[in-house]
Amino acid sequence: MKKFLGNKTAIAIFTLPALLLYTIMVFYPIMQTFFRSLYEWDGLTAGTFIWFDNYKNLFDDSVFYTSLYNGLIFAAIITVTQIGIASILAFVIADGVVKGRRLLRISYFIPVVLSITVVCQLWLSIYNGQYGLMNKLFEILGIHYQQDWLSSSKSAIIAVAFVNAWQYMGYHFALILAGVRSVPEQYMEAARIDGATKLQAIRKIMIPMMAETYKFCLVFAVTGGLNAFANMYIMTGGGPGTSTYTLTYLMYRSAFRVGEFGYGSAAAAMLVIECLLATLIINRLVARERITY
Amino acid sequence: MKKVATALAGLSLVFVSACGSAGNNTDTAAKETNAGSPAATEAAAATTAAPEKAVKLRIYAQYSDDDTKLPYDYAVAELKKEMPNVELELEVQAQDDGQKLKTYAATGNLPDIYQAGTDIINTFKKSGNILELDKFADLYDFKSKMYPSTMNTLISEDGHIYAYPYAGNEFMLLYYNKELFEKNNVKVPTTYDELMTAVQTFNKAGITPLSLFAKEKWPTVALYDVFATRTEPQGILKLQSGGASPSDPAYKQATEELYKLIQAGLLPKGATNLNFDQAASLFYEGKAAMFLNGQWEIATSTEKLGDKVGWMYFPAADAASYEKNKYAFVGGGNPGGYAVNPDTKDPELAAKVAAFISLKYAEFKYTERGNPMVATKVDKPIVKEYPPMMKQLSEDISKVTSTTAFDWGLSDAKFKAAIEDATQVLMTGGYSVDEFIKDVTKAIPNGK
Repeated sequence: MKKFLGNKTAIAIFTLPALLLYTIMVFYPIMQTFFRSLYEWDGLTAGTFIWFDNYKNLFDDSVFYTSLYNGLIFAAIITVTQIGIASILAFVIADGVVKGRRLLRISYFIPVVLSITVVCQLWLSIYNGQYGLMNKLFEILGIHYQQDWLSSSKSAIIAVAFVNAWQYMGYHFALILAGVRSVPEQYMEAARIDGATKLQAIRKIMIPMMAETYKFCLVFAVTGGLNAFANMYIMTGGGPGTSTYTLTYLMYRSAFRVGEFGYGSAAAAMLVIECLLATLIINRLVARERITY
Repeated sequence: MKKVATALAGLSLVFVSACGSAGNNTDTAAKETNAGSPAATEAAAATTAAPEKAVKLRIYAQYSDDDTKLPYDYAVAELKKEMPNVELELEVQAQDDGQKLKTYAATGNLPDIYQAGTDIINTFKKSGNILELDKFADLYDFKSKMYPSTMNTLISEDGHIYAYPYAGNEFMLLYYNKELFEKNNVKVPTTYDELMTAVQTFNKAGITPLSLFAKEKWPTVALYDVFATRTEPQGILKLQSGGASPSDPAYKQATEELYKLIQAGLLPKGATNLNFDQAASLFYEGKAAMFLNGQWEIATSTEKLGDKVGWMYFPAADAASYEKNKYAFVGGGNPGGYAVNPDTKDPELAAKVAAFISLKYAEFKYTERGNPMVATKVDKPIVKEYPPMMKQLSEDISKVTSTTAFDWGLSDAKFKAAIEDATQVLMTGGYSVDEFIKDVTKAIPNGK
């Protein structure tokens, strides 16, 4: 092994394909986005270099702040819902007491493999103000909370975020379940012998030992929330008005509807920075040291 | 092996010489004939004239429903008779805000002929991806076949021609179900007060007053324009040009009236989430009393509701403004139609095909689709009789005092996006008049 790691040529040869792919597919487009964000550009002509004017305009644009706020709300909702519910389900399934575990495991994962368009159409019907299941449910329960879920500027983003939370909860469930199974049994056994309850053992032993799994889930949910697009594109078209815009949607509108690719690139650049920051913070706060069992 | 090679070489030589001799023979024959009388020369020229070279042109056009498929198929069939050597390779236009076409332009893969609207014309003009057709304006007498009133669909803002239009000026109409109005003893409104009474009565009867597919943003802009044009006939066009501000009394009053009516339940629950099919079915099934859509809706509405359906002039603040602006129509036309790629091999031929297709497209719409709203004059008799609503509209066309523009005809993309967003939120009722005015004012170029 030592001999192999000493061979710099071998290292270069083996890492080069991945490095090249990464550079071409990820690094170069990101750099292009930053570069183009300094231009007034319609996507076809050469464009005019305008320094940081796009950023200045972006910071003066109220839609930018709406998008930023919506991204954060979306990320918060899906992070809490997905990781929270997925954890509860994973711990219950892993416990071994519940019957029909296999069926439940598959059921939780089904929404993940469904097309996002199908899921959105399904929830559009559920949310429908006139004949939707959601309002009917409230009616049956005798609760006067019937809403026009997607047409209200305030509730629309929450309603849309919940659809994403529901669909991808199964993905986090699978990750967390795998994490639970990888924690050696003897730790839990030792806790039980010491008199810890199931809840205490999960809280004090299981969750801290799964910090790396949770770190991955957090990064995935937070960045996924910040750059959400498909749900609002299909369900609300960013509306009503701009009330379900995220930075990705703002980028789409600027570049493809308004034809301001430079401005759209500035929004995209802000999104990249936002996601990088979120990832850095999560890495700083969660599982700073590698956990070995 | 050597033998096989020799045999092949021999065969190929025979083939080449055969071809050569065939050509030579023709030449010789021609030369011999040339030596004869002039009449003989002409006859020979006629007999020996080679058929025109087959040309294949890529065309990017709408082809999604009967209203786009049938006229296109007719135009192509007519083209086959006119230019048998030209074959069109159709690529169906995507409903994607012109993204596919812009990507083609960016990658140098633009089709020879494509359908272009205002946005594409304005963008491609700057990037040099659209052929200026001024010198080809009279192919097939195109320019002279235009109606004076539809010249705005041919000539762009800069005075040049970039596309051959087929659609004329189109209008927004407020359709209504006569039976529902009669059954509920509601007068067809001419003023906002009467409209308010209608809204209240229909709501009490469990009928949606006005069905609007507000998930798409353009109908929301059109509804705002309906109210704005009752006092300022130039409506959203004047806002776009910076000639007026949404806070001007005319526009402010329009916003306030619309806001009041929405609060009173003018639109169905969740209107901003209703797509065309959902909104239209409310009207067709007699669950909505009114429906706002373009005049192209006439055919389907007549088919679904028969003589129960009609269209009304837009109500205004009072009887005087109703009469004054009765013929101030909402909608209009904008430059657009079949355009030509400047890099096409034979620009004149492509322009010829584009002009021909546009003429025939309009011809079919006029004669077979019951649609007189075309850009060019048609000298063929109408095959399909116009429905009564279209007859009424045709009679009114000469009385039209002003038009505005459809949302997609707005040339300032930034203003267009902003007014689309603002009017859509206005439809929810959860957006104050002042917020609306503030947001639209910000997007107005050189806004006051």
